[in-house]
Amino acid sequence: MTHLFKGLTLAAALVLVPGAAVAQGADPDAVIRIGSLYEPQNLDNTAGAGQGINEAFNGNVYEALFQLQDEGEVTEQLVTDYEISEDGLTYTFSLQPDVTFHSGDPLTAEDVVYSIERVTAETSQSSRKSSLATIESVEAIDELTVEVTLSERSISLPYNLSYVWIVNDAAVDITASEDGTGPYRLDDWRRGSSLSLVPYENYWGEAPSNGGVVFNYFTEATALNNALLTGAVDIITSVQSPDSLAQFADNPSFTVTEGASTTKELMAYNDRIEPFNNVKVRQAIARAINDEQLLEAIWGDYGTLIGSFVPPTDPWYVDLTDVNAYDPESARELLAEAGYPDGFSFTLDTPNYDPHPIVAQFIQNELAEVGIDVEINIITANEWYTKIYQAQDFEATLQEHVNHRDIVFYGNPDFYWGYDNPEVIELIASAESSATVEERNEKLRQANIIIAEEAASDWLYLYPQIVVSAANVTGYPINGLNSQFYAYDIVKTN
Amino acid sequence: MTAVAATEPRRMRASLTLSVGIVLVGLHVVVALLTLVWTPYDPAGMAGGRLEGPSLAHWAGTDRLGRDLFTQIMIGSRIALTVGAGAVGIGALIGVTLGILAAFATRFLDDVLAAAFDILIAFPTLLLAMLVVAATDSASLFSAILALGLAISAIVGRLTRILAKRVLEMDYITAARTAGTSWAGIVFIHLLPNIWPTLLVNFALQFGLAVIAEASLSYLGLGAPPPNASWGRLLQEAQGTVYTAPFGAIAPGLALVTLVIGMNMLADGLRDIGDPTRRRSR
Amino acid sequence: MLFILLRLLPGDPASSLISVGADPEQIAAARRQVGSDLPLFEQFIHFLSSLVRLDLGTSFVSRAPVLEEVLTRLTLTIPLTLLSFALAIAVAVPLGIVAAVKADKWYGAAISVVSQLGIAIPVFWVGILLVTLFAVNLRLLPSGGFPPQGWGDPVAALRALTLPIATIAIVMAASLLRYVRSATLDVLGSDYLRTARALGAGFSESLVRHGIRNGAVPVVSILGIELATALLGAVVIERVFALPGLGSMLLLAIEQRDYPNVQGVLFISTLLVLLIGFFADLAQRFIDPRLRDPHGSVQK
Repeated sequence: MTHLFKGLTLAAALVLVPGAAVAQGADPDAVIRIGSLYEPQNLDNTAGAGQGINEAFNGNVYEALFQLQDEGEVTEQLVTDYEISEDGLTYTFSLQPDVTFHSGDPLTAEDVVYSIERVTAETSQSSRKSSLATIESVEAIDELTVEVTLSERSISLPYNLSYVWIVNDAAVDITASEDGTGPYRLDDWRRGSSLSLVPYENYWGEAPSNGGVVFNYFTEATALNNALLTGAVDIITSVQSPDSLAQFADNPSFTVTEGASTTKELMAYNDRIEPFNNVKVRQAIARAINDEQLLEAIWGDYGTLIGSFVPPTDPWYVDLTDVNAYDPESARELLAEAGYPDGFSFTLDTPNYDPHPIVAQFIQNELAEVGIDVEINIITANEWYTKIYQAQDFEATLQEHVNHRDIVFYGNPDFYWGYDNPEVIELIASAESSATVEERNEKLRQANIIIAEEAASDWLYLYPQIVVSAANVTGYPINGLNSQFYAYDIVKTN
Repeated sequence: MTAVAATEPRRMRASLTLSVGIVLVGLHVVVALLTLVWTPYDPAGMAGGRLEGPSLAHWAGTDRLGRDLFTQIMIGSRIALTVGAGAVGIGALIGVTLGILAAFATRFLDDVLAAAFDILIAFPTLLLAMLVVAATDSASLFSAILALGLAISAIVGRLTRILAKRVLEMDYITAARTAGTSWAGIVFIHLLPNIWPTLLVNFALQFGLAVIAEASLSYLGLGAPPPNASWGRLLQEAQGTVYTAPFGAIAPGLALVTLVIGMNMLADGLRDIGDPTRRRSR
Repeated sequence: MLFILLRLLPGDPASSLISVGADPEQIAAARRQVGSDLPLFEQFIHFLSSLVRLDLGTSFVSRAPVLEEVLTRLTLTIPLTLLSFALAIAVAVPLGIVAAVKADKWYGAAISVVSQLGIAIPVFWVGILLVTLFAVNLRLLPSGGFPPQGWGDPVAALRALTLPIATIAIVMAASLLRYVRSATLDVLGSDYLRTARALGAGFSESLVRHGIRNGAVPVVSILGIELATALLGAVVIERVFALPGLGSMLLLAIEQRDYPNVQGVLFISTLLVLLIGFFADLAQRFIDPRLRDPHGSVQK
């Protein structure tokens, strides 16, 4: 609880910091150098490019009909206005006029149709494909009007459309080049090293307040920190440990901001199989692990405890940290009731990158206390997707889930962790077709409480979202929802 | 005679090198054996607070989970000796056999083996390690040892082949062959005694390199998995905390350096004393 | 052989394309795209036919042509390797000879001790120490990365490579030095050197005339090995310094099971290694005439 409180007040206090000193001495031609650990695999977010492409391109190179702001609300971007039919099944969008793509082509309704169909296409690897499954048809009514017809109500349609890049329908290959409408265009991408963006001279909106952006990519957190420390980059998008923060926090040359995060560290069980199909076993494990001590070990004073999969920034958040809280004594009782008085053993598939191996060792110690024997099996990220995500061949695993608004995974019994509760499935399915936002939020809140009580997984903690910059750099996003990093307001003073 | 005068101090220094080497390696062997029966703290249990500095209770401080680092480093000795001995053992067995075979073989087989050595040397130890992991079904200490052993075998094989060829060109071998000495006789009487000092130096280097290579594999996340407290993994885990707890990133490195130096000095000493050419020179 | 070995690895290249939230249909599409849904022998036939056409294919993940990517990375890896190598030789050969010839003097011994230290330290540790000292504390050189323009900005490129080169050279020189010292000691104890001196030649003169020629043979062979290893062995250094070289391409490709990239890197690096081996052999035969006809020397 102390963590939660501290995290929120800190975020609130620091929201005001960037942007405060914009006025004096800002250099409009300064190129902002951003250090990141997430290089895109290619340049197309429907072709498995990874989270790095959202960071570099969302809102910077590509725009969507709607935009997910850093504070979490969804606003119109390439849409000037839209109408929803009485039954909630037809959306009519009016497009922003005088928008051109970087290739010079004007934006038309046909481009929007093409772009939405690209995401819902069979070969699409977009992470939002399934949430757009209710789209029945997309039609261009005239040059600047698009009509979307749904098979059932979808209250989050504008939100979901914020993930759909509007791409020129004449663009040939966008895995290695781009053709968007954003304030920046791609200048150069040197794989394994850097990606540079320059302002697009004919941008329809307000021009960026800097002279361009270069993303410098690192594979190793220490190298990333050193780059900021030595002035090789101006800003780093995510800090991986509290210990590297020590060198920035007490130094007036740097600004440290802690924003709201959606990255959840969790131990997922295969809920289909013995013994994890037993609610008591899952509750016992949740109670046997001291999350507070774990968070302290990994993040020191940073980070937030969570009692379920929902972070405080989601509208259906409720504080559930007291549900199945740390209590080794009742954990032993629950194990005995479940028929495992002497414990049992299982294999924990652990991704080979930080912090999973150390979290696994902590869990191993904690569960040994209640008689459960954990064997740690280290795997690569690729194996995780193959063995656990696709084949669902595992007992328990560790993973960090980064997505925004992703409680829906518990409403899908075919998801890798196989949580199957008809009540939760019904709540999550009907929430999307709610008539009002309040109704949706209430349904998801109920689902949230049920998964927490049933200990569907063990949610260990919420990562902090920490951005560190040189003190003369301001105007950057601090929450990084959905890994986005809007660069157009960043300014650097001399 | 100046030759004798110059050799005496060298022999003294050689025995000094040898003694230091024996002491350093011996220390690690003793510690490694000790960990089998006793460690200062439970290696897995929390013995103190997070990232404590060195103190009387915790000589090397504690890690992020509050575990005693000195205990981990002691266990690291055992793991390093296992990795080094295992990898060099495998590498020597395969490498020397194939190297000598190549030196004796027909031109075609020799060329094939030489090319195989070259390719295997260029084949990244990294990829080799991953393939071995795949073949043995999960990452373990054994898969790391096997991968390093295979990598070493190519280096040993290449060196053996070249050394053996040089010896086989010598006139006395031709004489021995003419005199009807058997194939095995040439190998064991003439060849091996002539090349083993150089090979031994190489084995010692490979021992150290194997320990270092395991550290590098761990740095890339491909080494012996937890809960094996390999020095490489300790260094890798401590790297993120190097600014707040620098000692955690130094202590395992010091342990590693002392073992590797000890091993090298041991071999150097043996070489300077036991080299038959220099013994003859007295 | 490589093909089979790679397919033994657990994991699926398609897994690098999907993200959490992907449905079975998307997974199937990804597998179709990279061809991992085909039977193994069909994949193998595809592989063979493109190899025959010398077509290294395009990456599963980035969809970029493999050869182009490998060549771009070589513009970093080759200068990095060769410069480190040259620096290591320039340091190791003279110091190694001095350490052997002057083994009884304090500086001869000191060189040996320092070289002991040099080979006992893991290369990433050296890199981290150099970064901490020269980049973080003294701010003399960049801590990592390579300029986006590459060699278009030669000064920045060289500055970016200075610390990595120094790191590799230190470790490489330390191990080379030991071979040079060891080879020199062999020569010093050999019969022909004593014969030469007995015939009245000066010590330095006989060392140079006979010693270097004889001592160089095993050293050249070691040099070949070191150069070949450095080519891909730089991967750890590339990670410490965030350099886009061949090694980091291979590491990423292995992690992602991006087989075209793995095969491409290994194919090109195998070619380079065979080339190095060929030149090392040539150099040895040039230095030591006895090796010129290794199989027929008995009849000579």
